[in-house]
Amino acid sequence: MTPLLEIEDLHARVGDKEIIKGFNLTINEGEVHAVMGPNGAGKSTLSYVLTGKPGYEITSGSVRFKGKDLTAMSTEERAREGIFLCMQYPVEIPGVPTATFLKHAVNAVRKHQNLPEMDTFEFLKLVREEGQNLGIGNEMIKRPVNVGFSGGEKKRLETLQMSILKPDLSILDEADSGLDIDALKVVAGGVNALRDGKRSMLVITHYQRLLNYIVPDYVHIFADGHIVKSGDKNLALELEEKGYADFVREK
Amino acid sequence: MPGLLQDKKFFGEDIPWLCALREKGADIFRRLGVPGAKVEDWKYTKPRILNADDFVWPEAPAAHECSCGCSHHNGEDCCCKQNLPLEAYQIRFENGFWQHEHNHLPEGVTVLPLDEAIADNEICRRWLGKIAAMENAPFAALNTAYLENGVFICIERGVKLDKPLAIISHTCAGESNLFYNLRNLIVLENGAEAEIVEYFHYSGIEKSRYFANIVNEVMVGKNAQLRHYKLQDEAFKAAHVSLSTVQVKADGKYHHFCLQKGADLGRDEVRVKLLDKGAETRVDAAYKMSGWATLDTTTLIEHISPETYSEQLVKGVVDGEAKGVFQGKIHIAPNAVHTEGRQLHKALLLSDTAEIDCKPELEIFADDVKCSHGAASGELDEEQLFYMRSRGIDEDEARQILVEAFLDDVLLKVDSESVRSWLKSKL
Ligand SMILES: Nc1ncnc2c1ncn2[C@@H]1O[C@H](COP(=O)(O)OP(=O)(O)O)[C@@H](O)[C@H]1O
Ligand SMILES: [Mg+2]
Repeated sequence: MTPLLEIEDLHARVGDKEIIKGFNLTINEGEVHAVMGPNGAGKSTLSYVLTGKPGYEITSGSVRFKGKDLTAMSTEERAREGIFLCMQYPVEIPGVPTATFLKHAVNAVRKHQNLPEMDTFEFLKLVREEGQNLGIGNEMIKRPVNVGFSGGEKKRLETLQMSILKPDLSILDEADSGLDIDALKVVAGGVNALRDGKRSMLVITHYQRLLNYIVPDYVHIFADGHIVKSGDKNLALELEEKGYADFVREK
Repeated sequence: MPGLLQDKKFFGEDIPWLCALREKGADIFRRLGVPGAKVEDWKYTKPRILNADDFVWPEAPAAHECSCGCSHHNGEDCCCKQNLPLEAYQIRFENGFWQHEHNHLPEGVTVLPLDEAIADNEICRRWLGKIAAMENAPFAALNTAYLENGVFICIERGVKLDKPLAIISHTCAGESNLFYNLRNLIVLENGAEAEIVEYFHYSGIEKSRYFANIVNEVMVGKNAQLRHYKLQDEAFKAAHVSLSTVQVKADGKYHHFCLQKGADLGRDEVRVKLLDKGAETRVDAAYKMSGWATLDTTTLIEHISPETYSEQLVKGVVDGEAKGVFQGKIHIAPNAVHTEGRQLHKALLLSDTAEIDCKPELEIFADDVKCSHGAASGELDEEQLFYMRSRGIDEDEARQILVEAFLDDVLLKVDSESVRSWLKSKL
């Protein structure tokens, strides 16, 4: 088993507030890990710390990705190395057509991999192929990024980006928030299509429901800034029955 | 001391009305001088560099020769001979001097060097000096004192120009501080339509200093339409001061769009008089700057008659220690009821030292009018930057994308698709 992401005794803060406190987790190639925690536990904070968002400061501990020190890399370097964050609240960018944004992203990653830039024709073909299953057509990618998109459209666009960029590690932050069951199936289908035994995922969620569609190998319960209990997918079911209070108290 | 007013031999010193006009310009400039800190109209944009005492008149380039003087010049392909990359009639000026071009102009379209037009053209003689103000425009007075070079354009009654007419002004300055004036007179007779593109660019040593002083006098006849686009991309130590004075008759339309991105001191000033009922204007501008530049957009829209309409959108991006200035005045005359005048300025500040000065003024002397102005400034959105970077796009590229997105809506005001995409490529 080759470790892809190794987080050791991570402490991180936002402003003056320490949110991540002694977090440990190793994700090997091909594994899907779910991190479940109550609102305000610091789940989104963890995803931002891993992607290097300005303002999220690591105070101690280490994070390695493919054996390299992740904390020394900029946000864009992490992305090009193969980390993708499917955001809980995708950002609207007025004035920038979705297609333009996607093309810049694809070519940034390709450049890093020493691949030639994609021209418009190749790029549109790729979007057509990957977009088909997600119900994303030409019309949608002409609109400005996420502007006026419904909750479902936003999450489908996140999934499309993941399908196109083919990251080694996908971090999904509340991928199901604001989705009805049909939309959830579409998004989960896109995510599952990327599972090939090599790619890994960190599925962050409050609810167990998502894990019926994206079935994890491991489940971790996250409270008060660190993991309080780990297990297999059955832990999620147990949590659903008992609620978070029991686990948080166990600590 | 060779300041801005120097003795000079002129064309047409035997034409009394022309000499009188020049003399009037020189008198006014002598009185007003280069505006100092107390002049309200210039309080944000301080034309200090125009107090220099080393101005030199450029020499007329020899005919049929590459005139730019660059060491890398290669005849017809030289930078100074470049045309706009779009279907257009093209005329070129080199350091303020007319360069002969062969354009097969359609019937009803006159394009002449200003001196020729002064000598032979009745319409030119009728309007020249009658549209531009001088009393509160020192550099227009100065321009008039040296009135000689420029272009006269006349589109006859009902004629629609089939492609844009580009006026390309190229400067090649070396060590000396060149100063030249361009005076253009543009007349659209009743029902005429045209698109005119002004392009100011340079080559030569990067730090060349020069002063390009431009005056456009524009007459838009009844039911005529002029779209007047401009790109100011002068050398970064240069001064570019331009005044376009425009009169619009009944149901005529005048649209001005100016993108400024060059010069150390750049001012694009537009004064539009909406003379009769139904006249309308859009005056839009964009500016993008860094370093220590000051780029100024100053507008005056005068609603003289009822049911006239104006709208302005000005957007700027300021980086480094640069300063963006917008002064916009809307004047509504006492009887100009049922008029509408709107104005909006938005700026994006990319550094802590970037500065914006904005002075909107509404002078409303009529009842029952719709008038508004607004201003906003902000920074790049951190969330948007992070989102793009989290997809692998590098920070500089992400910033550039957001800057272009910010300017997108104002560039969309440029109706001509070919002109718009050329302007976008210059951002
Ligand atoms: N930018 C911020 N500034 C200050 N506090 C923040 C910021 N972002 C998150 N927090 C705080 O950090 C804690 C964890 O938030 P978050 O990571 O969003 O939780 P979760 O995603 O698990 O619901 C919360 O108490 C929240 O108020
Ligand atoms: Mg969250």
